[in-house]
Amino acid sequence: MSIFKEKSVFTRRQFVKGSGMLFAAAVLAGIFAKIGFEAFDTSEEYIEQRAAGLYSLDESMAIRKSHENPEILQIYKDFLSPGEVSPVSETAHHLLHTKYGKDIPGLIEQLNAHQHEAA
Amino acid sequence: MSTSTVKDTGGIITVTDACKACDHCTAICPTGAISGFLGQKHHIDYSKCINCGQCLINCPFHAITDLSMVEQVKEALKDPGKYLVVQEAPAVRVALGEEFGFKPGTNVKGKMHAALRKLGFKQVYDTEFTADLTIMEEGTELIHRVFNALGVQGFETSGPLPQFTSCCPAWIKYAEDNYPAILPYISSAKSPQQMFGPVAKTYAAQKLNVNPADMVVVSVMPCTAKKYECDRPEFVASGYKDVDYVITTRELAQMIKDAGIDFVNLTDEEADKLIGSSTGAATIFGATGGVMEAALRTAYEILSGQSLDKVEFEAVRGLKPVREATVEVPVKDLGTTLPVKVCIVTGTKYVGQVIEDVLAGRSKYHFIEVMNCPGGCINGGGQPIRHEMY
Repeated sequence: MSIFKEKSVFTRRQFVKGSGMLFAAAVLAGIFAKIGFEAFDTSEEYIEQRAAGLYSLDESMAIRKSHENPEILQIYKDFLSPGEVSPVSETAHHLLHTKYGKDIPGLIEQLNAHQHEAA
Repeated sequence: MSTSTVKDTGGIITVTDACKACDHCTAICPTGAISGFLGQKHHIDYSKCINCGQCLINCPFHAITDLSMVEQVKEALKDPGKYLVVQEAPAVRVALGEEFGFKPGTNVKGKMHAALRKLGFKQVYDTEFTADLTIMEEGTELIHRVFNALGVQGFETSGPLPQFTSCCPAWIKYAEDNYPAILPYISSAKSPQQMFGPVAKTYAAQKLNVNPADMVVVSVMPCTAKKYECDRPEFVASGYKDVDYVITTRELAQMIKDAGIDFVNLTDEEADKLIGSSTGAATIFGATGGVMEAALRTAYEILSGQSLDKVEFEAVRGLKPVREATVEVPVKDLGTTLPVKVCIVTGTKYVGQVIEDVLAGRSKYHFIEVMNCPGGCINGGGQPIRHEMY
């Protein structure tokens, strides 16, 4: 009987069992990570599909340039720049252009003054 | 869904009690507007939030909502004294179908027009018309700025180069909040949504013989920031609130379902004439690089006086956050060829460096497109949520 003989804390069988569990955990972590990466893959894929939808719609349109839209030419000739197609006309500037940041209060005053003139 | 107005809350996006404090949104938010301690419901700082809704469509617990104007739209539709006019953004038509079982990218433009008529809208127009109008105004402005920079006489009052696009209301608020010095570089042209409002309440109202005071303009947008944009106080050029209400792609799908419309079996219908015609250039506005490509198609033909053999500018397409391209444009009036340098940014996170370069005088570009959402409006905060992701 030897009180100094230490009992082996880690048997061969326990080592095999332990490393097996570690291995299984690593495999599971890998699988979960892969699911995570695939989620990001899908997130790109639906964006690509929607973009492809727009580009094929573009290809199917009879007119593919803005300045050839007949209703655009009509609104300039009838209303925005009477008699001609001339962007950034006075009416276009009033209705279709804006200002930003600290220039907004002044723009609102201008618009109000324009309303009084019209009235 | 809250039915209060922007003025009550200060913003469009709200975190609900369903928040699990997982911090996913704080990683997605382009401006760092969302904060909260670990394990506590997060909150949004509206002085930083640009209303883009990227947190909303990416929240794994669907704990983030946007302000809704659906009830106001339903009330107006029931009111016989009101004349309802609707516009739909390009990106809506390739995503709305997802809520009815179609694959992403399926074009349901014709069914969408039919459904809107069934819901009771008197005139079903198209934001693509005003996208074309934006190209006319913004493209002309760009040409003026280029002539000014080249020292051509008569263009001295034009703004500086490069010119930034102005279609994205999230980008506009970001620039106003963070880089006031860059504002003179942003095109003064309104976004297509905000061009549509005054055109409907002046030109269309006259032609239709409708009192603009009775006209209600509704937008269907892939975007939550468009709700904020329509409530900005300066958008009253028509003498009335230019765009009354904005609903998202998701909300339109819900309205169609609530009304019991069999969307899948609807027969395709065209948009109404007058301000409803569109072109392929306007359609691609919904994808990142699309505004740039549409502008190039028009600017090239106007500057060169020649017709393009190939209308596609593939160099500006793609999903990379920052892209650049050079297009050789023969300028008839000057008798030279001008290398037009363009840049496309998708994701406000990436715009800082581009702005710093412009302010420091290092930028080599003429025209810069900025869209807040990765991929452009097709991936906007108002689009159908991809449930398979979580």
